Amino acid sequence: MKRDVPALVLFGLAALAPVVTRDGFLLDSLILILLWGAVSGAWNVAGGYAGQVSLGHSAFFGLGAYSAALLATRWNQSPWLGLLVGALLATVAGLVIGYLANRLKGPYFGLATIAFSQVLLILASRWRAVTSGSEGIPVPFRPGFATLGFQSKIPWVYLVLTLAIGIYLVARYLETSRPGYQLAGVREDEDAAEALGIPCRRLKVAAVAASAALTSVCGGLWAQYVGFVDPFYVFSVDLSVRFALNSIIGGLGTAIGPFVGSLLITSLETYLRATFSDFKAGLIGIYLIIYGCLLIVVVRFVPQGLVGWIGERLRAMGRYARA
Amino acid sequence: MGAVPQLIVSTVLLGGIYALIAVGLTLIFGIMRVVNFAHGEFLMLGMYLAFWSFTLWGLDPYVILLVAVPLFFAIGLLTYALVMRGVVKASHNVQIFTTVGLSTALQNAALVAWTGDFRFVRPWHSGVVIRIGEAAFNLSQVVAFLVAVLFTAALVAFMKWTRAGRIMRATAQDVEAATLMGIDTDRVYRLAWSIGLVCVGIAGVLMSPLYSVYPTAGLQFVLLAYVVVVLGGLGDMIGALLGSLIVAGVEVLGSYYLGSAWKEVIYFVLFIAVLVFRPAGLFGQRGSETLGA
Amino acid sequence: MSKRGRLTAIVLLIAVTLVSAALIRGTEGQALQGEYKIGVLEPLTGALAFEGKRHLEGYEIMRDMINERGGVMGKKLVFVVGDGVDPTAAASEANRLITREGVKIITGTYSSTLCGAASEAASRQNVIYWESSCVDPRYSKRGLKNVFRTEIDGTGFGWYNVEFIAKHLAPRFNLKPNQIKIAFLSEDSSYGQGVTEAARERAKKDFGMQEVAMEYYAFASTNDFSPIVAKLKQVNPDVVHHIARGNDAVLFWRQSREQNFMFKALVHAGATGYGSPDFGKALGSEGNGPFVLAEPSVGLRLEAFRPEAQKLERDFTEAVKKRAGTEPYASHRLAGAGLWLLKLVLDQAKTDELEKFRSAVMSMDLPVGSMLNGWGVKFAENGQNANERVQHYMLQWQNGQMVTVWPEEFSTLRAKWMPLPAWDQRK
Repeated sequence: MKRDVPALVLFGLAALAPVVTRDGFLLDSLILILLWGAVSGAWNVAGGYAGQVSLGHSAFFGLGAYSAALLATRWNQSPWLGLLVGALLATVAGLVIGYLANRLKGPYFGLATIAFSQVLLILASRWRAVTSGSEGIPVPFRPGFATLGFQSKIPWVYLVLTLAIGIYLVARYLETSRPGYQLAGVREDEDAAEALGIPCRRLKVAAVAASAALTSVCGGLWAQYVGFVDPFYVFSVDLSVRFALNSIIGGLGTAIGPFVGSLLITSLETYLRATFSDFKAGLIGIYLIIYGCLLIVVVRFVPQGLVGWIGERLRAMGRYARA
Repeated sequence: MGAVPQLIVSTVLLGGIYALIAVGLTLIFGIMRVVNFAHGEFLMLGMYLAFWSFTLWGLDPYVILLVAVPLFFAIGLLTYALVMRGVVKASHNVQIFTTVGLSTALQNAALVAWTGDFRFVRPWHSGVVIRIGEAAFNLSQVVAFLVAVLFTAALVAFMKWTRAGRIMRATAQDVEAATLMGIDTDRVYRLAWSIGLVCVGIAGVLMSPLYSVYPTAGLQFVLLAYVVVVLGGLGDMIGALLGSLIVAGVEVLGSYYLGSAWKEVIYFVLFIAVLVFRPAGLFGQRGSETLGA
Repeated sequence: MSKRGRLTAIVLLIAVTLVSAALIRGTEGQALQGEYKIGVLEPLTGALAFEGKRHLEGYEIMRDMINERGGVMGKKLVFVVGDGVDPTAAASEANRLITREGVKIITGTYSSTLCGAASEAASRQNVIYWESSCVDPRYSKRGLKNVFRTEIDGTGFGWYNVEFIAKHLAPRFNLKPNQIKIAFLSEDSSYGQGVTEAARERAKKDFGMQEVAMEYYAFASTNDFSPIVAKLKQVNPDVVHHIARGNDAVLFWRQSREQNFMFKALVHAGATGYGSPDFGKALGSEGNGPFVLAEPSVGLRLEAFRPEAQKLERDFTEAVKKRAGTEPYASHRLAGAGLWLLKLVLDQAKTDELEKFRSAVMSMDLPVGSMLNGWGVKFAENGQNANERVQHYMLQWQNGQMVTVWPEEFSTLRAKWMPLPAWDQRK
């Protein structure tokens, strides 16, 4: 339970935010922080807990986004149904790529997942009959709960917060349950785990599939929030990298890590972009140079992630205090 | 069929260009086991080098090649010291994201410094067409191809017959054993990185008469280069050359027979298939992908 | 709570507070006395940056011209700018411009995928979205009351191209429209697909042209057109309808020349690819021949415009030359014309309140030739400026530059090389 204190603090603050402020910009930033944190948390199930570091998770995100968008526009169904359909499709996709890429290690697994996400990108951008091809899908805004049409940002905050808490709980489950321990065994030393009779392949594939399903739910919500599904964005390598990045910066294989990472990265990005937008048009790129350099520095000096780093600092302080 | 000679010529020439990019990458990936997301950006820098030299001083890209070699070696040493050295022993994730950060920083540095406008290098040879029978080829393409082959040959010779080359291969095979043998792995990595950048920088210079120059120009080629590297086998130069021809062939023939819309699907699927069934690459030794990982 | 738990909580709390503090900058509301602020959202980083930048330049130049001519509603027009690098950012920035900067009108946005997301965000807060460039036809079909577009939609481009081929080119080839063999080639982004599909449909339905090839390619990863050229040679088209995005135009044209691929004409639409001055910079006179549907250029018969428009056009062109050192690009013009129209509407409505703004928009009725790029103005109920009023021009590459050749009443120069002669005879 004491492990959950940071989460209680973060999520508690998030829940209080709409009460404390009505500023649309802050709420929007909060929603994005929680949403990206949630996707990263979903990624972390495969990446941090199962050791399957994927760089193609946008495949699942995009499946979720398209499912929600298509069900809403083409077949006039509720996007909630779209979330479900997306999760099913993503689970299948996750099983496929999880199985195919099972034996691949390290960077090879990453490359295979990138290729997978790019194949989906090409399919989505060419299959005009179903997906409207490259033109993407504008997601209609229909006011109402069933259609996820909220005028104000406040319901969105609570919706995404619920999702975030759900994913956090899934991660905590993996930290405290038997399958979770087995998965940790597979992650740390697969040969030893195999020798102990743990069904490694099955666990890894299951982790990828579960991660895929959760990612796609985030994608579906994203589509309703932003309102436009562009294949080149939802299936992009950039997005996949973002999901992995938040978890790595925050702490791979920790439940709160992805959210801490998202808090830092998303706020930084939003803040830098807002601050630099008044520069002469040509100089705007400076904020991304800063962003890139910061990435290099953080990843280098805090490779265990912020959560791990803070933990170490606290332990060190504890030792000092005791001595 | 009248188109076949042209298709063959296109495959060979395109393959040459891909080989130039892939050879540097296979060196870096093979020896350092680092997925270098910034590889395309160094290609872009090579292109800009050629562009500015041509525009400001009227120097032909082939002349700039001579400058490019030591220049990119120096850039390699610098970026290694500043960025890569710290992460060479770190986990894969750290390495990947370090190069992602490097890639973002470089792309946007180019955008800020030189704007996003498309630039062109038009030396006299970019418009020269050589015709043999039914096939037409562009002189700049032929030169790029020849240099690629020469460079690969030189690198292969270097890796096989020089002491430094053998040391590098040993480190690639088993870094712990190499350290125990007294090899300074840091120097090996620095050399591999720098040579890799020289290759891709030269590729950029040679390609500048053929393609537009703009800050995100590297993206076009990076994923493709990875496909080539995996196909050809990690660290295997000749494999990179052969892999380039295969990928170029798939692209050219795929475009011709199935339509260009599907050519990428074909080579991505091919990529996944190779990864799943023969991760060592079509020409690599079985199991070599796990060594040194 | 344990000591460690407490410490963790405190550290996190501090971190969160610091970050939030950084974000809180205090709302800067509207109306500094004498100024009127609008938001401008463009892709200023990422792959579309080069066009976003020109768009913004066009806006800034026109803003200065507007301020010299009495400003907007009697106040000085000022901008606050957002970088819409991708759909999430576009929505987010739109949100920031509205909530933090307090704008009531946002303009932009160059790309179809960005304008969709940004205008959604704007409409949820009842903010006016004044689009001057994106061409996605669905933009105006969402039933949103706050969304307007001054530029024609993508289907219009395809429509005009086919019109040109059928009515202007076919007779020169001594062919009836239904005898024309047309090959479609296009980059596969939302722009390319939108224009090409509209052209394909019209070519088939209205004129019965024979479609002999249809090839989409990925602009970013197509490094060699020779297989496509080889393929097209086999089907021997009369006209190649190629929607290009950048250097693919240069590559294709060059490789067609290398393989001696002969066709009677090539037609493109838009400011990218063949429509970009970069095409001429890369190929010089070797690039002579292609037709481009675009904003007018050299050879434009300004006298065909109304007098106010002529003055605007001249002043604008001069200002662009002074600032950017080139003739206005299409993106400069689209932005400039869009902003000028916004001024006219605001001056008439005297407010940015949605209802009155809308009626001012709907009441605008200007004939072709009234705006700086020769447009007329008449908005439909869905906020789209009518295709018939948006005058488009066919340009052709001659002597290394794009010149205006059609419609004939708007141009002093005429099209050449119909059909295109051998590659080395196009001087």
